[in-house]
Amino acid sequence: MPKCSFEGIRVGGVVTCVPQRERCIDEEVELFGGNEKQIARLKKTIGLDRRRVVDDSTTAADLCEAAARRLLPACDLESSDIDAVICVTQTPDYPQPCNAAVLHGKLGLPKNCAALDVNLGCSGYVYGLWLAFMMISSGGCKRVLLLAGDTISRLVNKRDRSVASLFGDGGSATMIEQSDGAGTSWMSMDTDGTGFDRLIVPAGGARHPHSAETHLEAEDDAGNLRSKENLFMDGAEVFNFSISEEPKAVSDLLDFAGIEIDDVDHFVFHQANRYILSNIAKRLEIDPAKVPMRTVERFGNQSSASIPSALCSELGDLLSLDAGRQVLLSGFGVGLSWATALLPISSLRVCEVIDYKA
Amino acid sequence: MELEQFIRDFEAAIEDLPVGSLTAESHFRKLEQWDSLAVLTVIAMANSEYGFALKARDLKRFDTVEALFAFIESSQNP
Repeated sequence: MPKCSFEGIRVGGVVTCVPQRERCIDEEVELFGGNEKQIARLKKTIGLDRRRVVDDSTTAADLCEAAARRLLPACDLESSDIDAVICVTQTPDYPQPCNAAVLHGKLGLPKNCAALDVNLGCSGYVYGLWLAFMMISSGGCKRVLLLAGDTISRLVNKRDRSVASLFGDGGSATMIEQSDGAGTSWMSMDTDGTGFDRLIVPAGGARHPHSAETHLEAEDDAGNLRSKENLFMDGAEVFNFSISEEPKAVSDLLDFAGIEIDDVDHFVFHQANRYILSNIAKRLEIDPAKVPMRTVERFGNQSSASIPSALCSELGDLLSLDAGRQVLLSGFGVGLSWATALLPISSLRVCEVIDYKA
Repeated sequence: MELEQFIRDFEAAIEDLPVGSLTAESHFRKLEQWDSLAVLTVIAMANSEYGFALKARDLKRFDTVEALFAFIESSQNP
């Protein structure tokens, strides 16, 4: 779609909630057939290490709810102040209704409040920001609550080395609000639907409903096990897509905004893994110090929650200062879908990671 | 594009692979270090050093470093 810009809208605060249970690739020697050298290479090059994963009774909605319950009082807001709630997730509590409606009820939001879900993953946080900014810019809303979270760990087969040690879980809550004097924000969204099957959970929807057959695990060429109900990722293709499209999307948005790459203070990419991020940074010739990339080694790839998680875990203090910073956010993944935003951010009233307590 | 340089780039792309351990005739998929990570790092090398979008399936079609080199070269200069 055409690129767009907004005036007078700001991000007011961000909270990310992660499960307390931690897993580490060092505990998974058996999964890698006892090949400790391979684990060492994955840790060093890809940055895989620890990750936070939910138990079977915790959902993305639970994590997002906890994040929202911390965000609202930290922003001095009541439930009744919220005009719309957007929930970005690919792991909703129910096929229907949407998570946004469920959370609207739990959080006690007012009836004159819009609520909808967005079915996107790694690009979804930026898409959610775009929707929230449009809702405010059209005049209908003053404050929009953006909830973005996933529990992808529950979709991966524990005996699939291509994904098992990669994904963590997380839920986030972000306040977007009307604010006179907030500077200009720039955004762009892109899609390549011909790659829809490169990152996919094939069964469980209307095309291939759950059945005894979709539940069966099969071994692929590389000896990884998965069923049609598990997440499949073509890692090499997704990697190729990321390193070819992401640098271009960033350059194009900066051109559109008329902002030099050196004037951007932080480049916060979807925390896919450190290797992808360092390759994107290299192609853009940006200082790696401006690119947070340590979130995946602490929390895992958190899908739609990974950008807020990186904001909270790596930039929380800086973004709470009154001095404004130009922050570029860019998500890429399942769809295939990618989206980029350039926002001035300052004086966040909260920007932190909290642990989930049931 | 030079074969010798490609061999050195290929070696450098693979973690834990000592310099000088590859020749044009080496069967790269038989290397102890060849795994899904090596597939990514070789794809990244082809992209950054040669501007070539190598596919994972291309890496399964060729046995030797030289054959892969010939494929990239012929694709770039058809």
